[in-house]
Amino acid sequence: MQNQVISKKDLAGFVDELIKSKAAGEVIGIKTQGNKFNFGSLKSAAELRLDYDISLLPPKKYFFPQTETVLKYEAGANPRVEPVVEEKSMCIIGVHPFDIRGILLFDAVYGGNNPDPNYFLKRNNTVIIGVDCLKPNPKAFAASMGTAATDEGFDLMLTDIGDSYFVTVGTTKGENLLKKHAKAKDAKGGDLEKRDKARNDALKNYKVSLKMKPEEIPALLDANWESKVFHDKSETCFSCGSCVMVCPTCVCFDVQDDMALSLKGGERYRRWDGCMLTEFAKVASGENFREHKEQRFRHRMYRKGKYLVERYKYLGCVGCGRCATHCLAEIASPAETFNLIKEAK
Amino acid sequence: MVMQLTPKQSIHLPRIATVARVDTLSNREKVFEFRFDDGKELGQKPGQFVELSIFGVGEAPISVTSSPTQKGYFELAVRATGGVTNKLHTLEKGAKVGIRGPFGNGFPIETLKGKDILFVAGGIGLFPLRSLINYVLDNRKDFGEVTTLFGCRSPLERLFIGQLEEWNTCKDMSFLETVDTCQDDSWKGNVGVITTLFPKVHFNPVKTYAIVVGPPIMYRFVIAECIKKGLADDHIIMSLERRMKCGVGKCGHCQINGLYVCQEGPVFTYAQVKSLKEAV
Amino acid sequence: MKPRVAFFDFTGCEGCQLEVLNFNLEIVDLIGAVDIVEFREASSDHSEEYDIAFIEGSQTTQKDVERVQKIREKAGILVALGACSCTGGVNALKNRFPMEENLKVVYGDAAKYYTTIPTRPTSAYVKVDVHLHGCPPNRNEVISLVKCLLTGKKFELCHNPVCVECKLAENVCAFERGEFCLGPVTRGGCNAVCVTAGRKCWGCRAPVDEPNINSEKELLAKYGLTVDDVLNQFKLFNGALEVSK
Repeated sequence: MQNQVISKKDLAGFVDELIKSKAAGEVIGIKTQGNKFNFGSLKSAAELRLDYDISLLPPKKYFFPQTETVLKYEAGANPRVEPVVEEKSMCIIGVHPFDIRGILLFDAVYGGNNPDPNYFLKRNNTVIIGVDCLKPNPKAFAASMGTAATDEGFDLMLTDIGDSYFVTVGTTKGENLLKKHAKAKDAKGGDLEKRDKARNDALKNYKVSLKMKPEEIPALLDANWESKVFHDKSETCFSCGSCVMVCPTCVCFDVQDDMALSLKGGERYRRWDGCMLTEFAKVASGENFREHKEQRFRHRMYRKGKYLVERYKYLGCVGCGRCATHCLAEIASPAETFNLIKEAK
Repeated sequence: MVMQLTPKQSIHLPRIATVARVDTLSNREKVFEFRFDDGKELGQKPGQFVELSIFGVGEAPISVTSSPTQKGYFELAVRATGGVTNKLHTLEKGAKVGIRGPFGNGFPIETLKGKDILFVAGGIGLFPLRSLINYVLDNRKDFGEVTTLFGCRSPLERLFIGQLEEWNTCKDMSFLETVDTCQDDSWKGNVGVITTLFPKVHFNPVKTYAIVVGPPIMYRFVIAECIKKGLADDHIIMSLERRMKCGVGKCGHCQINGLYVCQEGPVFTYAQVKSLKEAV
Repeated sequence: MKPRVAFFDFTGCEGCQLEVLNFNLEIVDLIGAVDIVEFREASSDHSEEYDIAFIEGSQTTQKDVERVQKIREKAGILVALGACSCTGGVNALKNRFPMEENLKVVYGDAAKYYTTIPTRPTSAYVKVDVHLHGCPPNRNEVISLVKCLLTGKKFELCHNPVCVECKLAENVCAFERGEFCLGPVTRGGCNAVCVTAGRKCWGCRAPVDEPNINSEKELLAKYGLTVDDVLNQFKLFNGALEVSK
């Protein structure tokens, strides 16, 4: 597959064409929200902002909505139950490489032995047009996590090389969309170097870094279960769940029933849940297996640094900086905790 | 990554089952016999659990108490503690529920074949263990010596009393029972916590597996007794309780360290549990 | 038989009852599911027979206390509806001043005809089975409680701080907008309605089970506020609660 170059003007044309033709379903992209950025439905290419740092919520919300009905039932003497699975085609424009890594983890979690149709009937019909993050968030540390770039998980990947975007083609689906709807040209000698230079320069813009190789985190955690860092850091935790709600690798959910007032039937839905919330590990008998905020804080750090990567091969933290940005107590950054543990040794 | 799926494969979709029989076990526990409306078997292994749905209330993980050797139906013994289980206790014969599963690994039957077995059940820990005890009794020739210890808080909390009497007189298995305390003289048997039964049992630790199920506090003391008797860590097998919400390794609620109880558990060896800081 | 529901109003703005009336189409379903036997804002019916009593407003006179105690005797389930009943709410602001002064300011020369007592939550006088927090309470939570009462399911209050719903709603954090917000220590269940509307959380739904008050004080201090500012903010809705002391 031949990589391409597209002028900024022609990229806008491509986006408008995708919106108009609905060739890849609903077009979603990065827009401003207040003084922040977030993913939303695009009405025109003019709304699209590819020079952003992070979105408020990661793009996982399109495959794994905040609240999602999964069953409908009629109650009573002869209950009838049927699955509710929303199927959707979309094209998401402007996904950063670290967020793509988050999606790859999601694919592994929601696939596996018990694949989840609610996830895959949205995910399978999604075109991902990524964009390299050249202006990272001040709390981000993707460079040192090795997640600032990715060679998988996208159909097309854009890199700002000045007047135009370098387009790394990831799939035939992406290539065909480009051929049919965009005025792009084959990349020529020098273009690839421009892309790589842009990517390399961006690495220098990361202000926070993990002071070890990411592969070393599991062993570091293995040796430091009793570390005082977990206690000290969690002292100011609000147990507010912000860190887990905004995380591109937090996959957990709660399941609840909602019965209609007529009592004739209702719905079962799932909603984002997270291990930093007080009730997460509580069982019906009242026992709470992670009663203290220190236990919850440690569990989250182990999930980010060890459990997920050991189970699914993809890192449980992609260094996007969202948790650190949203945490009012300023304790959520995994890099900071891992660094502190290492320094304390 | 493309995974071709249809809505019918929903991980949340239960099968409808009907309550065929309800028996009261004590003031807080009942046992329910279920039959699937499509006539199929549950196909569980002893030690596995199901997700029980009561539509409008929710879902709860419940271990299966009947042995797969009993065909045509399965039983769930349930203490009324949460929303779903309290509602279940109000259901009568003919009521319909949803069932997903069976889930989890179950007890390692192949490992246990030809071995001596020491069952240790505390309180409602008897519910999951009963599936294996009955399985072993129904396939008696496949196993060596079998001993069962059962302890509960008071004579009023004894469960499956008819079955306990059967086990007490059954020649295929030695059976010892105790209650923690008894205020009156209604109880003629042993009094004291379950570990007080240990001096009364003798087994060859090399060819014996202990299978222990009970409340979290019981594990620490029973495991110590097992080790004192010379059992190796991987010969002590236990079943752990967590909040298995989805049953299929997605929702994250049942994690013990890096393991999902609904996937790698609920049955673990003490050798595994020892390396898990969050287990007991 | 359908459960009989009664609404009783005490000291408050009656906005909680108004919120119930605002259910739109769901009010029709609600009327189908329960018998509303007492609801001053919507009906002239009166009844002495009821299963579920919703208490709106706080008790600010000795007569109020006796009345709520009588209601408690008759009600199978007693629900504190809204901030005034749950925590004392805005009414508890008067607790900062001597009661005689309050009477004088409000009634002037007529003060001698009135009495008043410090505002306390309804639970200070009678056993409250369910607290439906908020100023006003969240209508979905009210409906959800009724559903639970009808189905026998246990009603669970939201245990999470407002931040959870605020993140789910994709709001820009109020702190990021330069506001100081009580969301991190306040019980959710409101869908973060105030922050979503561009405001901040004032804590009308009372603190979560384990509020990290020290951390909130540190946080507000970081935003240049004094301990008094912080306490004043807490006390707007939670003046009668221990946590704001």
